[in-house]
Amino acid sequence: MRRPRSAVFGLVALTLLTSVLTGCGTGGGITLRVIQSLTSPERTALLRDMITAFEAANPEIDVRLISPPLQSADQKIAQVLSAKNDVDLVEVRDYTVKQFVNNQSLLDLSPYVANWPGWQELTPLARQKAASVGGKPYLVPYGFFQNTLFARTDRLSEAGIKPPTTWPELIEAAVKLTEPGKNRFGYSFRGGAGTFHYAVSIISAYAGPQVDPAQGFWRKDGSTIFASPEAVTAMETFLRLFKTGSPPGSLAWSYPEMVQGFTSGVTSLLIQDPEVIKTTERATGLPKGSWTTLPIPKGPTGLALQPTGYAGWGVTSFSRNRDAAVKLLAFLSSAEQGLRWAKEHSLIPVHTAAAQDPQFSTGAFKAYLDMANDPAQVVVERPIQYPGWGRWQKQADIDVQSLLVGEKTVAEVLGSWDKFWAEQKKAGGA
Amino acid sequence: MSTDTAPRPTFVLRRNRGLFITACLAPALLLVGVFTYYPMIRGGVISFQNYTLFDLSDTGFIGWGNFEKVLAEPGFWTALANTGIWVLFSLTGQFVLGFGLALLLQKAFRGRGLYQALVFFPWAMSGFLIGLIWRWMFNAEFGVVNDLLLRMGIVDAPIAFLASPEWAQTGQIIANVWYGVTFFSIMILAALQSVPQELHEAARLDGASYAQALWRVVIPFIRPTLVLVVLLRVIWILNFPDIIYAMTDGGPAGKTHIITTYMINKIIGAQDYGQASAVGLIVLVLLFAFTVFYLAATRLEKSRDF
Repeated sequence: MRRPRSAVFGLVALTLLTSVLTGCGTGGGITLRVIQSLTSPERTALLRDMITAFEAANPEIDVRLISPPLQSADQKIAQVLSAKNDVDLVEVRDYTVKQFVNNQSLLDLSPYVANWPGWQELTPLARQKAASVGGKPYLVPYGFFQNTLFARTDRLSEAGIKPPTTWPELIEAAVKLTEPGKNRFGYSFRGGAGTFHYAVSIISAYAGPQVDPAQGFWRKDGSTIFASPEAVTAMETFLRLFKTGSPPGSLAWSYPEMVQGFTSGVTSLLIQDPEVIKTTERATGLPKGSWTTLPIPKGPTGLALQPTGYAGWGVTSFSRNRDAAVKLLAFLSSAEQGLRWAKEHSLIPVHTAAAQDPQFSTGAFKAYLDMANDPAQVVVERPIQYPGWGRWQKQADIDVQSLLVGEKTVAEVLGSWDKFWAEQKKAGGA
Repeated sequence: MSTDTAPRPTFVLRRNRGLFITACLAPALLLVGVFTYYPMIRGGVISFQNYTLFDLSDTGFIGWGNFEKVLAEPGFWTALANTGIWVLFSLTGQFVLGFGLALLLQKAFRGRGLYQALVFFPWAMSGFLIGLIWRWMFNAEFGVVNDLLLRMGIVDAPIAFLASPEWAQTGQIIANVWYGVTFFSIMILAALQSVPQELHEAARLDGASYAQALWRVVIPFIRPTLVLVVLLRVIWILNFPDIIYAMTDGGPAGKTHIITTYMINKIIGAQDYGQASAVGLIVLVLLFAFTVFYLAATRLEKSRDF
């Protein structure tokens, strides 16, 4: 009998020792757990650096950063939140905010932002996006995403083409810059995952003034943009862009390939988000000064419409260290940290102080300033708050690919999208 | 009186032994229960629930609703048909090449150890990584495969491998064959080395050629292993979405999904755990039917053993 007893004693002692040691590890203070979504090695390093600065200023708080792989990060976060796991600060994106609020995973920050001076340093758009679900701030955005047109100025001037400002001009330029024999193509087409975004962009530009910006998938008369006759012209143009001005393999291209296409010099035109500015600057395959960014192309009526994507930080509703979590959130969202974050990741900044910063008013970022000052560049909303949004994206990608391989017709695809969104609206998902 | 007390210790001992055995088994049973059976049963329950991550406020039971929706989708049937093609061609390629490699590796030659290590290397890689590597290799504009074909003068213009359903599926199967050859080599080589030397000698004395000895002596001897390995591998290939998910994610136009990537898409895209679990349950039923066949086949083999 002696042996089991000593074993039990040993176990108890071990458990006690472990808990004491773990206690020591946290300095006896608060441990915050932060989970990020848009993970990348450079970004994680920067975030860690910012967290270290926060810990130095708040020695009683210990911060643990959780970085799931990018591909499945939002899925992991959703699971962690629905299981009410031990997480205090969470990265929230425009695509996930409605879901997290639905499931009551996020804390309403209203009482906190009221007393937080940093709130007033945010741009009006940032404060609007913070409260885009239910009118309450469930997150503080750290940056915006908008498309811009990346263009090889050297090749354009070589071919005697002026920088394209409309879709028809873009196609004309893409066709002229395509030389398959040299493995050189005009446009970095995205036919793989995420292609729906570009289809919707061109349809919106063609439908132009009919579109209701507050509900970007619908026209002001209440019907969907996919039912408009202009949508047919837009999709046919989109197909022509693929067939005559883009690499044939781009049917399978997703984000990494289309960016690689541009940075390796295979393609000369690319429509992408601001973080690609950093990637392109770092690319060794491009001669210095050979490229620029331009506002995205407009439709025949002179309008370009696109959503403003955003991401930010939110506090979980079940956090046991609310005040500390809010403190960290305020630190990360301060003008000083926020501008550093936006600069190093080339994001559109959320702080008013950015207007005085030369990095955001010159060079590759100037296109964003131009777009912000151009009334013909309209910001629209995507129906991300509808339950069908996730499902539709996957289906729409398949539909566009079916169009590209010739298995479906433009009328079939547009018809099914029109039907889908008309039904979603009738079901009142919003 | 002693006869009265005699059975007692035996009973206590037996009960103690029972307890002891249970205690020894408990950790394993617990682990299997928690990590295999609980998730399986939970998945089975979810497949009858309205369970979408977008809104978890109403997760009531909806009967066969998820199954009806899934079975009504043409994409499901495409995925099912692709699963057949995927398993059949991957398996055939892996088996034939694996068998050949095992035969080559059986003979002693200089540097065999190094060569074996190289052959077995792919088995140590993650399927997702393999998918990503082949995705770039098959890329029409910057891929190495097209570059080689162009340089060798086999093609005039690059083939957009991942842009057509047939080529994309061919590419996926090539990647999978590359990955899985190893498994067959290891297993078949082990089986070949178990063939007694006397059988080889007897065959040679009877004047059998190499092919005859292989066909009439070696293969029948290792047949139980072959049957087992093939059947196991069928289950694994069917349950192996990694390469397809990373290479094309079912594209172009959803034409290269197999049933397991189709299931993953139900979660990643629509976030519909209910429908995904329904697909999972269908896979389970299919595999169960297959296992019944597998057990019947192995029993058949035992009766014919040497």
